Amino acid sequence: MNKFSLYKDRCIIMVCCLCFQFSGAVVKSKVESLKVSPSTLRLRSVQAQLGITKIQQNITGVVRDASGVLTGVTVSIKGKPISTITNENGQFIIAAAEGDVLVFSFIGYTTLSMTITMANFNGNALNITMKEDATTLKEVVVNAGYYNVKDKERTGSISKITSKDIDKQPVTNVLAAMQGRLAGVDIVQDSGSPGGAFSIKIRGTNSLRADGNQPLYIIDGVPYSSETIGSIATSGTAPSLTSPLNSINPSDIESIEVLKDADATAIYGSRGANGVVLITTKKGKAGKTTFTVNGSTSVGSVTRTPKLMNTQQYLAMRQQAFANDGISVYPDFAYDVNGTWDANRYTDWQKEFIGGTAEVNNLQASVSGGSAKTQYLLSGNYRTETTVFPGDFKYNKGAAHFNMNHTSDDDKFKLAFSANYTAQKNNQPATDLTAISRTLAPNAPALYDADGNLNWENSTWDNPLASLLSEFDSNIKDLTANTVLFYQILKNLQAKSSFGYSDLKSTESRTQPHTLYNPAFGLGSEFSGLSVSQTDRSTWIVEPQLNWTTTLGKGKVEALVGSTFQQQKTNRLFMNGFGFSSNSLINDLASASIKTIDLSDETIYKYQAFFARINYNWNERYILNITGRRDGSSRFGPGKQFATFGAVGAAWIFSNENFLKDNSVLSFGKLRTSYGTTGNDQIGDYQFLDTYVSSSSTYQGLIGLQPIRLFNPEFGWETNKKFEVALETGFLKDRLFLTTAYYFNRSSNQLVGIPLPGTTGFVSLNANLDATVQNSGLEFTLRTVNIQRKNFEWTTNFNLSISRNKLISYPGLESSTNANRFVVGQPINIIKVYNYIGMNPTTGVYEFEDVNGDGVITSIDDRTQIADLSPDFFGGLQNNFKYKNLQLDFLFQFVKQEAFGPTPGVPGTAVNQLASLSTAEGQQPLTSGVNGDLINGYFRYAQSTGNIEDASYVRLKNLSLTYDLPLKKSKSVRCQLYLQGQNLLTFTNYSNGDPEFKFSNYLPPLKVYSAGVKLTL
Amino acid sequence: MKNFKIVVLSIMLLLNLISCDSFVDVETPNSQLTGVTVFEDRTTANAALIAIYAKLRDSGMLAGNANGSGVCLGLYADELTYYGATDDNTSFIFNNTMLATTAIASQLWNESYQQIYSANAVIYGCENSTGLSTTDKNQFIGEALFVRALVHSYLTNLYGDVPYITTTDYEVNRLVSRMPTNEVYTNIIADLQQAIALLPEAYVAPERVRPNRSTASALLARVYLYNGNWAEASNAASAVLNNAEYVWETDIDKIFLKDCTATIWQFSPNLVGNNADEGSVFVFQTGPPPFVGLREELYTSFANDDLRKSHWIASVTDGTNTWYHANKYKQNTNTGTSVEYSIVFRLAEQYLIRAEARARQGELSNAKQDLDMVRSLAGLPNTTANSEAEIIEAVQQERRFELFTEYGHRFFDLKRNGTLNTVLPVVKLGWNSTDVHWPIPETELLANPNLTQNLGY
Repeated sequence: MNKFSLYKDRCIIMVCCLCFQFSGAVVKSKVESLKVSPSTLRLRSVQAQLGITKIQQNITGVVRDASGVLTGVTVSIKGKPISTITNENGQFIIAAAEGDVLVFSFIGYTTLSMTITMANFNGNALNITMKEDATTLKEVVVNAGYYNVKDKERTGSISKITSKDIDKQPVTNVLAAMQGRLAGVDIVQDSGSPGGAFSIKIRGTNSLRADGNQPLYIIDGVPYSSETIGSIATSGTAPSLTSPLNSINPSDIESIEVLKDADATAIYGSRGANGVVLITTKKGKAGKTTFTVNGSTSVGSVTRTPKLMNTQQYLAMRQQAFANDGISVYPDFAYDVNGTWDANRYTDWQKEFIGGTAEVNNLQASVSGGSAKTQYLLSGNYRTETTVFPGDFKYNKGAAHFNMNHTSDDDKFKLAFSANYTAQKNNQPATDLTAISRTLAPNAPALYDADGNLNWENSTWDNPLASLLSEFDSNIKDLTANTVLFYQILKNLQAKSSFGYSDLKSTESRTQPHTLYNPAFGLGSEFSGLSVSQTDRSTWIVEPQLNWTTTLGKGKVEALVGSTFQQQKTNRLFMNGFGFSSNSLINDLASASIKTIDLSDETIYKYQAFFARINYNWNERYILNITGRRDGSSRFGPGKQFATFGAVGAAWIFSNENFLKDNSVLSFGKLRTSYGTTGNDQIGDYQFLDTYVSSSSTYQGLIGLQPIRLFNPEFGWETNKKFEVALETGFLKDRLFLTTAYYFNRSSNQLVGIPLPGTTGFVSLNANLDATVQNSGLEFTLRTVNIQRKNFEWTTNFNLSISRNKLISYPGLESSTNANRFVVGQPINIIKVYNYIGMNPTTGVYEFEDVNGDGVITSIDDRTQIADLSPDFFGGLQNNFKYKNLQLDFLFQFVKQEAFGPTPGVPGTAVNQLASLSTAEGQQPLTSGVNGDLINGYFRYAQSTGNIEDASYVRLKNLSLTYDLPLKKSKSVRCQLYLQGQNLLTFTNYSNGDPEFKFSNYLPPLKVYSAGVKLTL
Repeated sequence: MKNFKIVVLSIMLLLNLISCDSFVDVETPNSQLTGVTVFEDRTTANAALIAIYAKLRDSGMLAGNANGSGVCLGLYADELTYYGATDDNTSFIFNNTMLATTAIASQLWNESYQQIYSANAVIYGCENSTGLSTTDKNQFIGEALFVRALVHSYLTNLYGDVPYITTTDYEVNRLVSRMPTNEVYTNIIADLQQAIALLPEAYVAPERVRPNRSTASALLARVYLYNGNWAEASNAASAVLNNAEYVWETDIDKIFLKDCTATIWQFSPNLVGNNADEGSVFVFQTGPPPFVGLREELYTSFANDDLRKSHWIASVTDGTNTWYHANKYKQNTNTGTSVEYSIVFRLAEQYLIRAEARARQGELSNAKQDLDMVRSLAGLPNTTANSEAEIIEAVQQERRFELFTEYGHRFFDLKRNGTLNTVLPVVKLGWNSTDVHWPIPETELLANPNLTQNLGY
């Protein structure tokens, strides 16, 4: 069946190719019959012009903008194959005749046309001033992956940010740079530790599998696997395993495009369900050789911490708790309250453990230049970051980026090459101290004794600083390289192929010195351990494509066919060493007296696809875009490997209709819609196989074999149907540009780990879930040019996303293992909670609604209130002011959401609590730990309406002030001084510290102040 | 130029036509074997079985670490005091404030059923194997049945009525109901009888790290005892005690060494030179204890001339206060060559089982004889108990002193004798009468509508 359908596909593609070849041959033969080549044609036209008394003469001139001369501006003559570019002094020379129209174009500037007249014909140099383009957003060309499309003509939903916005942010992760700036893209920082990952959700939660919501990342055409690396045994402070996305250097990025709807993503087929993030790195620009050096220094500290009890409040709580339990003699292990620890001592542990200042230094240098035919860019970046934890920890990152573009003399052959290499070295404590900083008793003893050694206070506590002795070290080297070869076979037929390669090598280690443990255990370095994990992941991809354009009636046709061959190979080696003669040898695995290998494997992921696109653009009014893809993935079992995806998109540019063409208010209007399917194969490799693997432990000196999963050979592709309708309108020459999009996505046959009761031996099973999940939402993007004067400009960008998630159907939900997890008609990420009534006025214990009225509170019957902690809406408001040489930019990010409040532990036990618990309103029942009813009540309270609070926030996400030193314009030297800030102000009522978190009790995002200078020569 | 175009086009065409049906097929990775292959070969089938023992040793209720029954049930009953930081797990066990959401409740449950799944997979794999000899099949299936019975016996003792899992089919296992305890025992006994029929008397591996027929009998004796089947208990214990392989060790300091001749079954360590996990969990060198210490009442209730008091318990003092720890296993680190293995079944328990079973059947002098075997090792004179009730009481006392901090014996003894609710409330403030059972994990109830919760949770 599959073989047949694949064969069918191949036939279609073959026929297409033959058609191209045929059409090419026809045109070719016509051209040949005329015995005219393009070059001779050019010559003839020139001769013809000469003949008609139009005298060709060299026109010279200088092109400038508000701040100086412009290098690399393309100067061409309309309708003629003659062009040149301006040199480092902005000068150009071009042969033209009277009546010719000179066209000046430059990225980011409004294209300028000028007719050659007698006046400027007499050898006078032209003075051309170009304007930076603030309004003509729709002229911008957008990268849609396999093809480019003019923003105004696109049928799909694509959001974009460029280096202009990225460069203003002192961030190290590409996702951080996107936060708050793109509609429909929800990004949350997992941890404020250097190298910490970010979570991204594009248009809501599609998959029930937590790790199945990753978008597809593509860097310069090469898919970049965002699958985490390393093993739990070697993980650091981050709540999740290391994300490879840190390897991407934000300052090397020219633009990021996020593809959202079916029209844009269906061409990525199986991998497009969660959206596609296209990263385009910076390219060389023609013109004089330009050197840029950019250096900055930043300081970071924790944004917000919860307000906790001081010693007096804490001890009062403890004493009351014991009194409540009827205990008058404090047990001998209650050191905080029984007098063992100093009752007058107070330490703000949050200040002590996470209150430090992180220092960040960043240096970026680049050189670029080239001729009209060949351009290059080489850049390097070095960055160091320290942490807010006590101790000397450092994150270093070095990156190199190279790009070269070449075009042959006849413009027929083009080559683009880009390579990125990043090396990261991250040395962190293995434990995040945030959690302990919030629970440790405020009268806990001093960290160090009089001799400066770790103080264990006679074994009455585990000194939290001991955990810093366990260090996490990560070395990641990452190379991505891409070559695109392009050949213009015929005027309207191009062949193109990209060849990509990426290679990631990661070595992580975590030490476990014996000094971690209380000396009371009497352990020595023979108890010290080391875990090492090595991950090598390499990918190659080849994507040959044919692109054909023609006209049909008043319309333009663009067609594309191509195929993808991709293979990803991952090698992993996880090792442990145990027992060292000295802790100074702890980083040397060879010095361990016992060495074990936990895992040594090689996994291969193969992927293959055929894709096609056909686009018809009638008179720049009606546009139809059809895309399709047939995908095969090795992640599925035999007979399940292939699936077909496709989409139709259509747009109507009504502002080009005659009745609106000259409307003075509405300058642009487009209605677009799309419908299609995408899929998802993020299920992991080999999951369909019933296999045994070596267990990491031995018995009788032998390695055992253990079953690794319940296997299900039947699972197959999940499909995602996406619908979108959007209205794009520009008013007053596009000074006000509003995009409103409504989307409606349904995913069915979801590939998930279905939870299973432990009695099956496992906790989940990979299978297609016979359920339909719907994500719908509204996205608004508004861009206004408020003031545009010679010396002053003010523009505003606003985006707002409202998304709703709903479980549409789930046949057999009642009898499934998800019966108590999902409710049809409700979002899939709901949490069922108890309905908290309050504290019983007489007994003082927590009370909950007994929903089924059976007299007892049980999880199944009474945990029925539905809490939805996904954001109701989120967005950003960005303002940009330009006054002469001064630029000010700020971004406010806002999120409306609810979250669980802090639950450090049962109030009254030896854990610190919010200071508000000491107040009459915030009072909670107290027990020293023996009142079972109270403890039970507390854990229900933690999962009840009573513990859900507003965690909405407005944050001054980014502030950037740039000053261009007023240097002489003739000198092409530019010096910019800048101040930048990230997460500067946060407005929220949330009680548990920073409201932006995915996992509570990890280091929150940092507030960063940065100062730097950028020099361009 | 023309030729070049044709070349380009041909290449494009070719790339699209490359036979790709097989491109996305992948081989089984080097590090994995399919379930069928594993049981076609003696070595790999054996590897599947030893992985279960490694799991029993490192996880679930038989583990000697902080999450095993030795620590958990020692704290839950009246053997140990918890000195560590307040957390949601160990301090809840110690305070008898377990909840259905407490992580350890679901951890032990899930790990136990994982072990049972692996045992069932071995049984299924061996039964359907064409490559294994009958001898090997009998050996492997016998061992797997023993493991299945062993883990279920701990589950039912801790959680009460529990599902008895005999298949690997998740469609069946995800909807199982709780089986009444007596039926669970019927199944355990059936499995053990089958295991006894299949297993050889001789150990298949040195150091007694693999269960043999006597090991299955030893468990069977315990199961009969817990069920009040006195005659059967006595017979099963005799089957072990009459085995000439086992020699009563009279030196109290050698009981927990790996070469002890009174050991019936012990766990092989993970690494060369490793010792029983119990050593590193219980032993500490300065006070107060960093994790757990023996309850003082337990220490003081030993007779002063009881050798176990001086040899199996150690004290640590800071000058003012004194703390005690179990010192049965003395090694708390890797010693290059292993000295102590975790012993799961040993002769002393079998003597005590038979003593009690005999007493219950009125065979008083034989019962006293068995009891005195154990007492003599501790340097104690023969028992002064005379009546049936006195002897039974004396056996219970002896079990407390002999088996303390081993695999939850104390808790299970109090429970089967119905004395939990009289003994524990005196020393444990948080004790409720419903604490005799641990809660069925909430995650389990949510995932399987056929399960019900224990009283009090």
